Amino acid sequence: MKYLILGATSGLGRELAYSLAKKNYNLVIISRDERDLKAIKEDLEIQYKISVQYFELNLSSFERIQDFFNTNPNIINEIDGILMPVGMTIEKDEIANNIENTNAIIQANLGSIIYFVSKFLPIFIEKNKGTIVGFGSISGMIGREKNVVYASAKRALESFFESLAISTFSTKINTQFYIVGYLDTNSSYGKKILLPKGSVKKLANIVYNNFNKDYKKIYYPYWWMYINILLKIIPFYFLKIIYRLTNKIINEE
Amino acid sequence: MFEKKKITSFDQKCSLEIFIKNSDKYKELEDDSRSNKNLITMGSRYSYVAASFKEKSLSINIENFNRILFFDKEKKIITVEAGIKIFELLNFTLKYNLWIPQIPGHPFISIGGAVASNVHGKSCAFYGTIKNSIENIKLFHKYHGWLNLNSGENKNIFDLTIGGLGLTGTIISVTFKLQELNSLNFLTTVKCVKSISQTIDFLESSDDKNLIYSWNTIDSASDINSFGKGLIFENKIDHKNNLEFCGKIKCINKKIIFPINLWNNVTIKSFNCLFYAYHKYVKKSLYKDSFSNIVFPFYNKEIYFSLFGHKGFMESQILISKEKIHEFLEELKKNIDYYKPTITIFSLKKMSGEQKYLRFEDNKICLTFDMVRNKKNTHFLNALYKLYIKYNVIPSVIKDSNLDRETFNKCYKEADIFREKLKKFDPKRIYRSELSDRLNI
Repeated sequence: MKYLILGATSGLGRELAYSLAKKNYNLVIISRDERDLKAIKEDLEIQYKISVQYFELNLSSFERIQDFFNTNPNIINEIDGILMPVGMTIEKDEIANNIENTNAIIQANLGSIIYFVSKFLPIFIEKNKGTIVGFGSISGMIGREKNVVYASAKRALESFFESLAISTFSTKINTQFYIVGYLDTNSSYGKKILLPKGSVKKLANIVYNNFNKDYKKIYYPYWWMYINILLKIIPFYFLKIIYRLTNKIINEE
Repeated sequence: MFEKKKITSFDQKCSLEIFIKNSDKYKELEDDSRSNKNLITMGSRYSYVAASFKEKSLSINIENFNRILFFDKEKKIITVEAGIKIFELLNFTLKYNLWIPQIPGHPFISIGGAVASNVHGKSCAFYGTIKNSIENIKLFHKYHGWLNLNSGENKNIFDLTIGGLGLTGTIISVTFKLQELNSLNFLTTVKCVKSISQTIDFLESSDDKNLIYSWNTIDSASDINSFGKGLIFENKIDHKNNLEFCGKIKCINKKIIFPINLWNNVTIKSFNCLFYAYHKYVKKSLYKDSFSNIVFPFYNKEIYFSLFGHKGFMESQILISKEKIHEFLEELKKNIDYYKPTITIFSLKKMSGEQKYLRFEDNKICLTFDMVRNKKNTHFLNALYKLYIKYNVIPSVIKDSNLDRETFNKCYKEADIFREKLKKFDPKRIYRSELSDRLNI
């Protein structure tokens, strides 16, 4: 079995890579910095005796992703599943973003994932098997002041995965989507957060255990599901009040 | 994003508010290093003193850089990132009956910290310090960037980095020459000794290939000949029971501190009596022992440190020449009789090597003792510093938070050479810790 992981050099992506390596899956790992990729490849191959291929790729550039598929056409046929724990934020992602930043954020968090799915899905349908796992964010639950485009892209991604699940309903393709809150990774390091951080190790295990199961949309940590329900049932004109209450919890991501 | 945190040294002496960054990408590490005026690298924080932090300064935690980058079983070479912990490294190498013999006392110590402190283990009489196992170091420096250090390339910086307390930059990865270890089972022989003098005689006459250390009680004996009765432990590899390495050294990180100090004259005396009697009358004088028990004497015995309470403990570890040790012991005894310090542990072993720069190594006797942190014991330690200077003793800088600049300067003959070379390499002196500031390095 060979799985492809986008963003495999840190946080959840790195944990997923180790989790699958322990189960003897061969891997294709993709990330921005070759040095990090090489270090993970060496460690996984030495410790778990699996085969790891790596590709340095900036997901915020559509041209580069296209180049990647053009130069590695066979990779699509070799892969049994794709995991895409991708998240790119920039320091100033506000309502009045410049267009370059907006495009880069949308491309990295949404466009690249849609493109990867579009490349792999026909092969998975042909084989009538395959796993596609996406990761949203609690930041997409409600409008916000910071990480505006990022949150929009994550909300759109959720919609895309719902559509993907419907499209693959009659197949044996395993689709999973996780709406992820704060995890004990570097991206939440040093942030003052009111709710406890979820364990990235546990999430990696949940993802693995859900391979070959029916479509699931899972909130992790689970309490974000209840917060989401609350946000959905309260009328919009209470938004200001909710915003004040949730500002600290959500806006810091 | 940096986390503001109050960090306390292992011996509880130093508690400072610092900024920490947990990087897990090389680019992040470069950016964080370049954007800060002063910084220092943080491993597992098992150094007794504040060697990996400084007030209001940035500590870059490298625990996510914990990967194995290269391994050649035939050539017995391994390259690991500096954040890997000793037990993680051993869990891998022992599968191939390989190890580095210079293992510090706790499994959670990071490789980067071990190299920066030039650690030694119980095998130091034969194998010396970790310096002897290092083939190459990859270092990142804010201004110099990435440097490869070994005996052929950047030799000067290589020399400054081993035992250089992290002041030359961030150690990113280390290549080790591994040694074969044919058995994970040890045979331990316990011998009772009447005094420290007798302990020294035994150390002098013993086979350095075995791991030998003593445990001596410090009591008010009448004369030097009966000062410090105790036990000598000799760990010998048991080649007859060559079991394969199965499972792993399982370690749980536990740091619990009792609210008050429970070590006092009564508890120490009671413990010493029981420990001595147990080994003399109950436990066999020759018994089988496990690898983790031998190499990690403090693992699972962390309660020993916890019992010192929030005020913590003081440790002094020194190297003294064989020629001067008897004279030194006489004066040490006089000071003990005068100050009556509360000493919990007193131990001796042999060390080999050549002292250079800030490195704690030499062909000398290594003497270690722990004390309760209080005024009386601090006065005692200050009195000892005068003896350290008088007897050309080398005190370990990573064990003693009390060690002052004057004693350090007089005991470390090459301290100024180190300062000079470090300044030449890094004129702005970027990498600093509380320890380096205290000793003006």
